[in-house]
Amino acid sequence: MFERGKKDEGLDEGADFRSAAPPRSSESPSPKAASRGGECAVIGRSIEINGDVRGNEDLRIEGDVSGTVELRNSNLTIGKEGKVRADVYAKSVTVDGTTEGDLYASERIVVHISANVRGNITAPKVGIEEGAKFKGSIEMDQGAVEKALGKAHLQGAIKPVGDRQSGKAADAKVGQKDVLKEAASGLNPSGVR
Amino acid sequence: MGRATARAPMDKPAAALNAPLFRLLVDQLDTAGRHVILDLGAASTPMLSLFGGSRCRVEIADLACDGGIGRINTETDPDILVTTAESLLPRHQSDDDVDLVFCWDMLNYLKPEAISALMNAIAARAHAGALAHALIVYSERSMPDRPGRFVPTGELKLVNHAAPAATMEAPRYSPEFLGRIMGNFAIEHARLLANGMQEFLFRLRT
Repeated sequence: MFERGKKDEGLDEGADFRSAAPPRSSESPSPKAASRGGECAVIGRSIEINGDVRGNEDLRIEGDVSGTVELRNSNLTIGKEGKVRADVYAKSVTVDGTTEGDLYASERIVVHISANVRGNITAPKVGIEEGAKFKGSIEMDQGAVEKALGKAHLQGAIKPVGDRQSGKAADAKVGQKDVLKEAASGLNPSGVR
Repeated sequence: MGRATARAPMDKPAAALNAPLFRLLVDQLDTAGRHVILDLGAASTPMLSLFGGSRCRVEIADLACDGGIGRINTETDPDILVTTAESLLPRHQSDDDVDLVFCWDMLNYLKPEAISALMNAIAARAHAGALAHALIVYSERSMPDRPGRFVPTGELKLVNHAAPAATMEAPRYSPEFLGRIMGNFAIEHARLLANGMQEFLFRLRT
């Protein structure tokens, strides 16, 4: 069910997928650099899962998953071809594909431009790329995040970005860009696109 | 709201719009308190940044996404109109009612019946006294044929990041007319802005 391989190299048509993808911003890592990362499990594009997915390793979904996805200590990437109809719990979530359900992360959630997300997002840090399709609510209030995820999972989690009290939305904007940048370099295991 | 092919007078880079009522809203927001903000437009990083440091939940309706505006504007059955309006809003969490609604320029693209249905649906999930902020095309007879993408700047001005578009006739809703179609949202303040739009602040009556 799970294909194991180098990050971004477990896809059936990895090379074509990369070349067909739109170019990312200059902040994004090159595919070569990204492919030097560690391993992660991959649910390939021809795989359909109805039920619960649980684990303790990073996962990339390119197929269809319905049910629940729990990777509370690991990173989840929903690839461009991925379709997830599930509530998702993970350390971090990066979305390039389609999701319907609520997304919870103890560290961060990043929604890229190719994504179509329907549901609520709960995480201390959230980045939504300009042009991404998103309908739902975004919860970054630490108290609400802790309530949703349980305090234990937030140990070491990063504070929310932005500081309206200091009237520095522009500074906060840089912080949000950093979320996308960090996600592109660290959380999106493939660096595809 | 007839269509025209001329380009909107927005081809030049968008300037930051000074919107005093928006600034007032944000400045007066109690940063220590919990707030639920409903944005009828698309999600934007500057918006999340602005409120990300506060104890806020931001709800994104993105009415323009997937033909939402067309669906509600073409519905004629009053009962279906109600359910259509509700379906365009994010799933409601009953323990967390809306405090603040950012309509931006979205109301210009909705028919009066659609505005009424939408504002009634919002009122049903909002606190009494909730505020709604809107930008209405007032001086110009035409407007871009699709809603803008207004995002706040660090100076609490608004910038429209929408790509240049063809134009269409603007409905130019008057304050009196808006007062009749906004349901229980009553006009609290209105100001004419430098770009010819009128900025409105509505408050949900108890």
